[in-house]
Amino acid sequence: MNTDQILIVIAISAYIASALALFTYFLSRENVAKLAGIPFAFLGCITQFVELGYRYESSKIWPLTNLYGSLSLFAAMSVAIFIGFALRYDLWFIGGFVQALAAIFLAYGLTWNEGYLPAVPALQSYWIKVHVPLVVSSYAAFMVACVTSVVYLIKYYAEQNVGRSSMVRLRTAAAGPAGAAGLQMQALAPPRPRSIIVGDAPNLERAAAGGSALAGWLASFPSLAKLDIMTYRIISVGLPLLTVGIITGAWWAKEAWGAYWQWDPKETAALFSWTVYALYMHLHTRNAWRGLRSAWLSVAGFISIMFCYLGVNIWISGLHSYKM
Amino acid sequence: MLRLHLDNIYHSPAYLGIIGFILACMTLATFRRVIPARLPPLRAVKIEAMPLAANLAVRGDEATIRARVEDFFVRGGWLVRKRELGGIEWTFADKFNWARKGVLIAHVGFVLIAVGTTMYWKWGFSGQTAIVAGLAQTIPETGARFQLDRFNYQIEPIRTKSGIVYQPIDYVSQLEITGHDGIKRHLTLRVNHPLDVDGTLYYQASYGSAVDFGVTKDGRPASGAPGAALLEGEGFPLGQTDRSVQYERFVGTIDRNGGVSPDPRANNPGVILTVFDGDQNIGSVLVPLGRSLDVGNGYRVDVGSYTLYSGIQYRHDPGIPLVGLGAFVLLTGLCMSFYFLPARLYVRVDPCNDSPEDRPRWSIGLAATTVKGYEIFEEQFAALVEALRHAQSGHAFQAKPSDPAFAVS
Ligand code: HEM
Repeated sequence: MNTDQILIVIAISAYIASALALFTYFLSRENVAKLAGIPFAFLGCITQFVELGYRYESSKIWPLTNLYGSLSLFAAMSVAIFIGFALRYDLWFIGGFVQALAAIFLAYGLTWNEGYLPAVPALQSYWIKVHVPLVVSSYAAFMVACVTSVVYLIKYYAEQNVGRSSMVRLRTAAAGPAGAAGLQMQALAPPRPRSIIVGDAPNLERAAAGGSALAGWLASFPSLAKLDIMTYRIISVGLPLLTVGIITGAWWAKEAWGAYWQWDPKETAALFSWTVYALYMHLHTRNAWRGLRSAWLSVAGFISIMFCYLGVNIWISGLHSYKM
Repeated sequence: MLRLHLDNIYHSPAYLGIIGFILACMTLATFRRVIPARLPPLRAVKIEAMPLAANLAVRGDEATIRARVEDFFVRGGWLVRKRELGGIEWTFADKFNWARKGVLIAHVGFVLIAVGTTMYWKWGFSGQTAIVAGLAQTIPETGARFQLDRFNYQIEPIRTKSGIVYQPIDYVSQLEITGHDGIKRHLTLRVNHPLDVDGTLYYQASYGSAVDFGVTKDGRPASGAPGAALLEGEGFPLGQTDRSVQYERFVGTIDRNGGVSPDPRANNPGVILTVFDGDQNIGSVLVPLGRSLDVGNGYRVDVGSYTLYSGIQYRHDPGIPLVGLGAFVLLTGLCMSFYFLPARLYVRVDPCNDSPEDRPRWSIGLAATTVKGYEIFEEQFAALVEALRHAQSGHAFQAKPSDPAFAVS
């Protein structure tokens, strides 16, 4: 094994260890698990950047000219962005998902590792050092945002389900003796929330108080409003990165191909993803769109990002397809 | 290569229509929605009805309390404005008020980009040309003369995990260019380094091998042979017959078995010729250079030597500076509206009705709105109310939430 491979193995192992620990934290809320997961997250991320730097130093070939290099950066950046948000907003509980995805993407990237291949003339430009890291970092941010949205959706639908099943109970009870129905009514009348962002899953909280361990666990997630705000903040990092990424790409295209926009599949797919996230930003200003619909938009946005990133590279040939 | 064939979209009425439509929508949206929503006038609100609201009860004289409230916000970097509305004195405190214009700025950037691309459509042009080494071409739109003195390419065999890859490393045109001033300049054109000649940019786009072809019938030169070397994709008819021959592509290396080797460098070169009978393709053959192909009826096509040619694209786009500026403005607007949370506080100071005559009590009511909803500001608001209470300390004896939806204490 050469130094390169050793570093990659360390990074993947660190991500797996951190994913396991942070999943344990997600499930158990044991602080020990969180404290065990954090150093591994740092270790994996730092090792990956060292590996990318080492690769560049030893070969003098910019490592982001193929899918292997860009997937490596994608994994490293998603962990870096996650760590940034986790430190600032205590977001560690979703770390298991992010770390597991980073490990999967990095391992998948390895299958595209062809060794050291110098860049074709079109890629021999300083723009590659600006454009690719920006775009890949935006993808990474959207990945983390997608994870917070998925957690939102899990909690949201659990809340709805618990609500629905207690409605059924209420109806059954109402059909029975009047006294029992009255009692149930009282139990179900939602307590007025003290705050608008805490306690926005009253059904889960009630079920948890009633002894349901699952509901208790779900209720212990951050509030829906907080998850929504978190997603918004992460997308606020991703969208400007994608915007600058597209602009620098267009500028580069002007220099390499003579036209800054040629509607090649990658450009079109990136523009589509950009529009989805711009739509997210627009609609997030509307009360009715914050929360559930925004979460779905963020998930849809990430699906479109994955298509733009991997789908276009692997399935469709175009001006960008030499990136493989 | 899958392209969406929208290259000429800038010239289509549909494109113009869409741009016009978007601009109209944006203008409408900006004036009908964005400005009113983002830059709301200073107006009275029903504090108790607001989701983010609090009430502090304080003791002291009105002027001092008001002064303290104002001082508190000014020190916190808030823009404080006072208005008397309906006989009540309101204090409005705004944070990041300037960032409210972020959305407008982003949209201005978008308009600039649209104007810039439209300028290209109106005054710009683009095209491409292929110049065979040793020959010259004049660009019709600009009159610039390009003579290709030499063309070089470099392709390296690289061993990768899945075998040898022949990777293009560089391709370079040595040109003699004559622009408007009539001066001949010797310049080098390579990928990613366009040349600017009289405001039009020229790009190294591609290259290929031009090949000389001869035609004989029964061993004697026949009519129909092309007068100049052909570029890949070009063809010629065969004398008086219905047949024609197309020079499909150049093959750098013919391997020992007579097949096409993956090495594109010109080691043992040949060409792939396709023969047509009328419109019908009757087959393709790989012919080594210097050999000839029997195409029937006594006709033979002689494949001569090759010369490299350089594919050059050019583009004149007067809208570029505006598009660049637009991109910058768009981004500035995006950052303004994403990273700053413009919030407005509505503050009023009212006498408490239940207060004993000798000890006047006042209630400070405050409510907050932001451009991104209430939830995102709740924690900051709670901290702010705490701080305000502290600032009035010694005088605040009881904090009572004005709305059960939000508790201060
Ligand atoms: C493609 C370029 C565009 C960009 C980059 C853009 C960007 C933005 C941003 C960042 C916001 C504020 C979101 C927030 O506060 O978080 C916004 C708001 C808005 N945009 Fe755009 N926009 C674009 C195109 C359009 C178009 C084409 C329309 C109209 C058809 C439009 C209509 C609006 C409206 C109505 C709002 C206000 C939403 C509200 O606060 O009620 N935008 N835009």
